[in-house]
Amino acid sequence: MKKEEIHIFIPAYNEEKMISSVIKDIRFCGFNHIYIIDDGSLDRTVEIAKKENAVVLRHLINRGAGAATQTALEYARKKKLPYVLFMDADGQHIPKQIQSLMDSMEKNQTDLIIGSRFLVKKTDTPFSRKTYNYIGNKLINLTSKYNYTDTQSGFRLLNKKAIHAIQLNIDNFGFCSEMILLAEKAGLKIDETAITVNYTDYSLNKGQNFLEGIRTIFSFWWKIIYN
Amino acid sequence: MELRIFQIIVPVLVSGFIINLILKYRKGDASIYELILGGIFWFSVSFFALFPDAISNKIAKIFGIKSNVNAIIFFCIGLIFFFQFKLYSLYKKQQREITELTRKIALKEKE
Repeated sequence: MKKEEIHIFIPAYNEEKMISSVIKDIRFCGFNHIYIIDDGSLDRTVEIAKKENAVVLRHLINRGAGAATQTALEYARKKKLPYVLFMDADGQHIPKQIQSLMDSMEKNQTDLIIGSRFLVKKTDTPFSRKTYNYIGNKLINLTSKYNYTDTQSGFRLLNKKAIHAIQLNIDNFGFCSEMILLAEKAGLKIDETAITVNYTDYSLNKGQNFLEGIRTIFSFWWKIIYN
Repeated sequence: MELRIFQIIVPVLVSGFIINLILKYRKGDASIYELILGGIFWFSVSFFALFPDAISNKIAKIFGIKSNVNAIIFFCIGLIFFFQFKLYSLYKKQQREITELTRKIALKEKE
C-alpha cells in the first residue's frame, strides 16, 4: 500500500479555524489526495479548503457527519478509489498515525481498520468522552459479533471491498456504529489499531455533547428495531 | 333514544370533514388510500359519538377492562402512540429524501 493510494476524506462543518492546519499537517506527512466534505458550513470552511487545494464536495445544507461520510463513500465508488481514510476536521487526529492504520491493514489483511483511543495503556481522553464511549461501546457490542474498544472513533481506513460494501443510512454520529455493523454483515474483516488523540478545548467543544449522544443512540436503535 | 348535544354536533362536523376529504380526492390532493382510511376514521368517530355507551362497554368487555371510561382512555393512548409512530416514520423518510437530494447535488457539482 502506497501513500499515493490513500484518499483522505474529512467531513467538515463550520471548521474555518482548523481546516487549514489539518490539511497542511496531512500534506506534511506525504498524503496529497485530500477531500473536504463540507456539510453546509456557514463560515469560510469551503473557501479556506479550496485555497489549500483540497477537493471540496459541498452539501448545500447541514445533514450530519454520517450523511457526509456516505457522500464520500459514493464519490469514492464513482471514482474507483482504492483506499479511503476518514478523519475528523477538528484537528484531534494525528496525520502521522495514518501510517499505523495502513501498516495494520496490510499486515492483517483487513478491510476496515478503526483507530482506537482505548488500546493504549494511558489515554488523555477526558472523563466525559470516556463515559460516552463506554456507553456507546456497550450498546454496539450488544448487537455486534465482536467486542470493539472504540466504536465511536472517526479515524478509519477502508479498502475497496469495504468502500463498495458499506451503504450508510444514519445521518448523524450513529454512522460510526452503523458502519461496523454493516461491515460485519457484509463479512468484512475488521480490526482496531491503537491511536492517540490531540484533545483541545476546540475539539472537545466540537464533538458530541450529552444530548447529541442521546440522539445518536436513539437513531441507531431506531434503525436496528425499525429495520 | 334521547339525543345529547354532542351527538348532533360531532356527526355534523364529521360530515364536513368527509366532504372536505372527498373534494381533496377529486382535486387530486389526496390518494384513494387516504380517502378510504380517512373515511373509515371519520365514520368511526361519528358512530362512536352516536352510540358512546354501547361502544365503550363493548371495548371494555373485549379487552377485559372493568370500566368503559378506562377502556376509552387506553384505546385513545394506543391510538396516539400509533399516530406518533406514523408521524415519526414519515419524518424519517422525508429526512432521508432531503439527505439523498443534498448528496446528489454535491456529487453532480463535482462531475
